[in-house]
Amino acid sequence: MEVQSRYNYYDILEVPQHCPQHDITMAYERARLTYSGDNPAIYTMFSSEEARHLLQLVEEAFSVLGNKTLRALYDEKIGQKRVGSDLSFAALQSESKVVFKETAKRVHSPKQDYKVNPDFETEIRSCSEWTGEMLKKVREYKNFTLEKLSDTTKVGSYYINAIEGEDPKNLPAAVYVRGYVSQLSKVLGLDEKRVCDSYMKRFKERLPKT
Amino acid sequence: MSAKVWAIGAGKGGVGKSFVTASLGISLTKLGQSVLVIDFDLGGANLHTHLGLDPSLPSLQSYLSGESPLANLIRPTPVPRLSLIQGCWDVWEHGRCTDQTAVNLVEEARKLPYDVVLIDLGPGTGKCGLDAFSQADQKVLVTSPEPTSVEKNYRFLEAFILHRASQSCSPEGLQELKKSLQKFRAEKKKGFFSFRQHLSETGGFSPNLFSEILEQPVHIVVNSSRSHDDQQLGYAVRSVCKKYYDLRVNYLGAIDFDNAVWHAVRNREPFLIAKPFTTLSGQFLNLARSLQEPEIPFTLQRAAV
Repeated sequence: MEVQSRYNYYDILEVPQHCPQHDITMAYERARLTYSGDNPAIYTMFSSEEARHLLQLVEEAFSVLGNKTLRALYDEKIGQKRVGSDLSFAALQSESKVVFKETAKRVHSPKQDYKVNPDFETEIRSCSEWTGEMLKKVREYKNFTLEKLSDTTKVGSYYINAIEGEDPKNLPAAVYVRGYVSQLSKVLGLDEKRVCDSYMKRFKERLPKT
Repeated sequence: MSAKVWAIGAGKGGVGKSFVTASLGISLTKLGQSVLVIDFDLGGANLHTHLGLDPSLPSLQSYLSGESPLANLIRPTPVPRLSLIQGCWDVWEHGRCTDQTAVNLVEEARKLPYDVVLIDLGPGTGKCGLDAFSQADQKVLVTSPEPTSVEKNYRFLEAFILHRASQSCSPEGLQELKKSLQKFRAEKKKGFFSFRQHLSETGGFSPNLFSEILEQPVHIVVNSSRSHDDQQLGYAVRSVCKKYYDLRVNYLGAIDFDNAVWHAVRNREPFLIAKPFTTLSGQFLNLARSLQEPEIPFTLQRAAV
């Protein structure tokens, strides 16, 4: 009982244990107004030091009850009524991390469905002049049809065709083309920057002179 | 069915007790209740002014001196279904109040043929007022947003707690309680505490001291509120009472400040009759409703309106 009465966050915020979340927020706002600043209501009842201490408690209570995860954990703990269970804020926070361990973000890696050709791989790696033809070769090597690539990259197959044919007349302004090429090389597993720089240099040379 | 007795008190004078009493009375008549208001301010009554009446004789003085029963003093007011018992306005003959006067007054008021009897108490923590306050079925404490008024209302609540305790304690026990309260006030407090906790830890007093009081919680009304902060003040007072004394009080709601009130009093007409379509009259109706049915929280009713 002792532990509970000393640390019952619901008592501190003066809300019933099963109240909805927005009641807690409202109670917190009110308590914060009451115990900070010169609220006439605390005059002659609490010294400014006592009020500050109460405000700390209120903030601590809200940092637990205002957070759904911590609140659930806290509810579970006070429900168990185990003597000596640590109800302090620090304990709750560290436990919340144990229970809800953050899993590493899963990186999307497409299935490899092409036959690895070591010679071609080295050619890709050493390639310094990225032409449309080279992009097409890589695409075919990696078993991407035009439609499939267009589907993954959301770049129209018409444009992919034009990029591979290095045909500026059928392509939008250079800045968009750079975006397309970057997108294509990402999906094809190429070094985005190198491919873009090299391709765009060639592309700009081929633009009709105005 | 006996009449319900509601007492309206305040720690400080001039916060609008009589105005709130008169307006609550008028709102209750609008809700179809027959209402009697008793001006129990023993030193200078002026509830009649709020109802647009001149002082008259006989007054409550005749009851206090035992000359006449309460029922003979009732006089009609301009408001239908609302009656008044004139307070002691002749100050040279101060209303004398013995030990049982207020208790008997409330008892007798319950037998009168009305739905609700409102008792407008004088300011401060006189024994007579506290007697009536603790006997009443509904206890309303009026405060204005000024720190002076809030402070005096805390003193009123303390006096009320001690008054309640004095009825169930021996005189020695009461002395102990007072000492304990003094000690509690003087000591530096840290963290989460309350007077009730302090009592059970140090004095071995029964923690049930408040349970009787809790059955009929004191209702707080913030009068002449001018801002959102003032409206929130009631919640702050509620929270402080809970934390300091572990005493549950109920915040009924706020009454807005309105210059028209001052005007109406000056013209000596009842405000809710002179200005029936103001925000205030809605607020008073809500107060009256939630006092009639305390189960429904005021905020919910407001949402429904």
